[in-house]
Amino acid sequence: MGFLPNGTFVMASIAYASALGLLSMGLSLTFVTTRIANFAHATIGMIGAFVLTLLVDRVYYTGPSYQIFITAPVLSFLLAGAFAVFMYIVIMKPLADRGNGVTELMIATFAVDIILINILSYLLNAIRGVHIPKLIGLNVSSWDARIHCCGVILQASYIVLPIAAILLTLAFHFFLTKTKFGVAMRATIENPDLAEVMGVNTNMVYTVSWFISGGLAGVAGSLLAFSLKDTSPNDSALIIVSVFAGSIVGGLSHVYWGLIGGFIVGLMEKLGTGLLDNFYNQLLAPALGWTSFSMINYEKLMSLGLVVVILLFAPEGLAGVDWGKYLRKIKRRW
Amino acid sequence: MAFLEVKSLNAGYGRFHILFDVDFTVNMGEILVVVGPNGSGKSTTLKAIFGISTVYSGQIIFDGEDITKLPAHIKAKIGLAYLPQTSNVFTELNVEENLRMAGYTLPPEDVEDRMQEVLEIFEFLKAKLKDKARTLSGGQRQLLGMAMMLMRKPDLLMFDEPTAGLSPKAARDVIDKIIWLRDELGKAVILVEQNAKLGLEVGDNALLLVSGRISFKGTARELLENKDLGKLYLGLAK
Amino acid sequence: MNIEFWIFSDTWLILVLSYFIVTLSLNLEAGYTGIPNFGKALFVFMGAWAAQGIGIRLAALFMQHYDPKDSSLLVERLNSMLGQNYHSLVEAAGSTEANRIVAPHIYDFLFAHPALDITLFIVILLVTLGLAAAMGLIASYAALRLREEYLAILLLSFSELVVMVIFNQTDSLNGGPKGLWAVEFYPDNRLFALILGAVISLLVFIYAERLGNSPMGRTMRAVRDDEVAAGVFGRDVAMTRLKVIMISSMIAALAGLVYIEAKPSAQTLTFNRVIWTFFPWAFLILGGMANNKGAIVGVLVFMVLKRFVEFYVPQMAAGHSAAIQMLAAYLSNIIVGLLILLVLYFRPQGVLPEKPSKTMDLDVVLEETK
Repeated sequence: MGFLPNGTFVMASIAYASALGLLSMGLSLTFVTTRIANFAHATIGMIGAFVLTLLVDRVYYTGPSYQIFITAPVLSFLLAGAFAVFMYIVIMKPLADRGNGVTELMIATFAVDIILINILSYLLNAIRGVHIPKLIGLNVSSWDARIHCCGVILQASYIVLPIAAILLTLAFHFFLTKTKFGVAMRATIENPDLAEVMGVNTNMVYTVSWFISGGLAGVAGSLLAFSLKDTSPNDSALIIVSVFAGSIVGGLSHVYWGLIGGFIVGLMEKLGTGLLDNFYNQLLAPALGWTSFSMINYEKLMSLGLVVVILLFAPEGLAGVDWGKYLRKIKRRW
Repeated sequence: MAFLEVKSLNAGYGRFHILFDVDFTVNMGEILVVVGPNGSGKSTTLKAIFGISTVYSGQIIFDGEDITKLPAHIKAKIGLAYLPQTSNVFTELNVEENLRMAGYTLPPEDVEDRMQEVLEIFEFLKAKLKDKARTLSGGQRQLLGMAMMLMRKPDLLMFDEPTAGLSPKAARDVIDKIIWLRDELGKAVILVEQNAKLGLEVGDNALLLVSGRISFKGTARELLENKDLGKLYLGLAK
Repeated sequence: MNIEFWIFSDTWLILVLSYFIVTLSLNLEAGYTGIPNFGKALFVFMGAWAAQGIGIRLAALFMQHYDPKDSSLLVERLNSMLGQNYHSLVEAAGSTEANRIVAPHIYDFLFAHPALDITLFIVILLVTLGLAAAMGLIASYAALRLREEYLAILLLSFSELVVMVIFNQTDSLNGGPKGLWAVEFYPDNRLFALILGAVISLLVFIYAERLGNSPMGRTMRAVRDDEVAAGVFGRDVAMTRLKVIMISSMIAALAGLVYIEAKPSAQTLTFNRVIWTFFPWAFLILGGMANNKGAIVGVLVFMVLKRFVEFYVPQMAAGHSAAIQMLAAYLSNIIVGLLILLVLYFRPQGVLPEKPSKTMDLDVVLEETK
């Protein structure tokens, strides 16, 4: 089985997929609560990458440290969450109250995206002492601790990211089902008017949902920055497309399906493309005498393919599929 | 002074003006029945009182306090309750979570006691605590909705066509509970009812809305016996 | 005010003309029919692609066919110069390394043969319309099935992903990150683009105005305002949507063709969501939905304001420290973003709000039906 990718690549793919899952989950969350499709979501995640760069430059400049895996995500969660709340209260809510519809609000998030990208780029240049407006990479991957395990060398973030994703999802699930405010959030998602009648301050619920959404994006961004080589705030423009693809695959109507959709898209983009590339170039092409060519540039084709398949066969996303029906069918067969 | 006083209320949704200069009062231990043809603004009246439709002008005075401008979740806290006609329970939450949601504004230590009291009144819910509310029948949902209203011990209860779409027996159960609320607990009730005869038989006072304006105000008996209005608007041909 | 500010460059004017075309087409979809097309960039790109990846190869094919001697000579020289082994001019024209070298020769050949030049232009016009129609058909598949916000997100992702795949793909589709030079039809390519843009904008404007007041236009509004009611009154909702998407996709692609003629070397990623989806939406909202004059006013007002910001902010920073000059560069983008938020906050109805569509006078109708 020479075409199977090595362990490092698999772990890197899983880490990327976990980050996309967190991002897609946050995107779906603000969508189901406030009906706003937030195009600035990946850039809010870049706040996390920015925090990490700041920590690497100013605190942990002596070398890799495990401490950064606590400080960076926590600070990123708070800062990115705070920005998301600011965005909701100062920009989105007043615009919605002025009678702007769904599409106008999307345009507004685009505008916020442009503003935030430029602020982050400026701050990054200023911090690194660059005085010409150019894109500069974060270049933090060498500050990621290396783990030697099972014959491969792993970046620590490859392991921390999936763990963080699992812990955050569990915590979020606990919040939604076991706390009073979490149940109120579920109630508000289903029927905001009735929740309000029951005495829930729905605007508070919306604000908290933006905080959580931004926070999750911040954590994903801060940890993902370790593994993205030469990334800059502008890269959010590419990442956001995959995040939306993940949410679409999930169906945009359910938070957990967003997580699953994002994970699937991330896995397909990295691992799927890698597998296909290895399969073709190492098995198929030599055997049949075809010319080999690299498929690594085609990772977005994977997400495009997924989106198209979803559009054709399950326009409401995975959340809209009647899984119970298929389960019963399978049970009957057996 | 009346318990709830509505003064020249103008309300609607966004730009759509629906209610024009509506005045009425409700006292404790009294059922006010609101009847009228479709689209006459019956539901809008309740929503305007609760603050989930747009109020352009007028005053709503509850227990001597002007509550016109308060947000809905605050009104829930000070003793108003409202049962919408449809989507009046959270179908994706289970019965227990629904009741807990209904007790959202209560101090946490009271929630358990209140839940026990409510479950004594609506006994059938005891067996269904862990079931999702969407598995309940229409009549059961309506009763769950009432149970949720009672969680907070409100003083003013507003029902929006609670018998719509129910079988005669289920409708009778719901109406009996409303009568019990008035007679045993002495609550103030506003009942919007499509079935005018059923509503007017249990009501004390009545309000007939036509095209967003009041065309009759008086006791329920008077309206029931008013042949012209009954024939014209309420289908009470006799 | 500074005189320089008012000397608009021809590229700026062509960009404005392209924006007229895109915004008018978006108005047909979003303004009149209520289809939130957030994938405009893709359709605009189809026009560029027809002239770039496809157009330059077609032009090379023409040259190869009508002037085989010169063509093979050119390929030979190219092979010895680059140390490559191109078999044909078409192959050379489509490869990233050779494209820039052979393109001027192909242009010269076309300029020398006006009949071929005009034929090729018509062919590429048809390719543009065909590609856009095909993409429109795919988009309409979604538009007939999905609700507003979900459709918007889906079209955006679809458009971005297609453009990104073509961008990342080297050589065979559109030259990858570097991009291929587009075919030119007239020695002064900017003048050509300017005239083409002006003619198409005018035609599209007249067409959109007539459509808006036609029975089809009223059907479109009916579909937008109440789909169910429109259906009940005997309008074919699905067909209306399909038609509108196809028509406006084709119009949008023409904007791409105009733009690429002015900037034949534009990269694929020039056709991104900010410049070709987001800005047209902003123009439309600023100008007023479902109003063609509003769309034009929106483009003009916004583009002049944008130019004002991009012109004066760096000028104010000039002479200050390097840090402030850098801030100014980012600040102009930030101000453009803020401008859009302000537009949304203060003008939800746009500068020119929608007018009731023109119908026959009721008296006239009553008179005629007597």
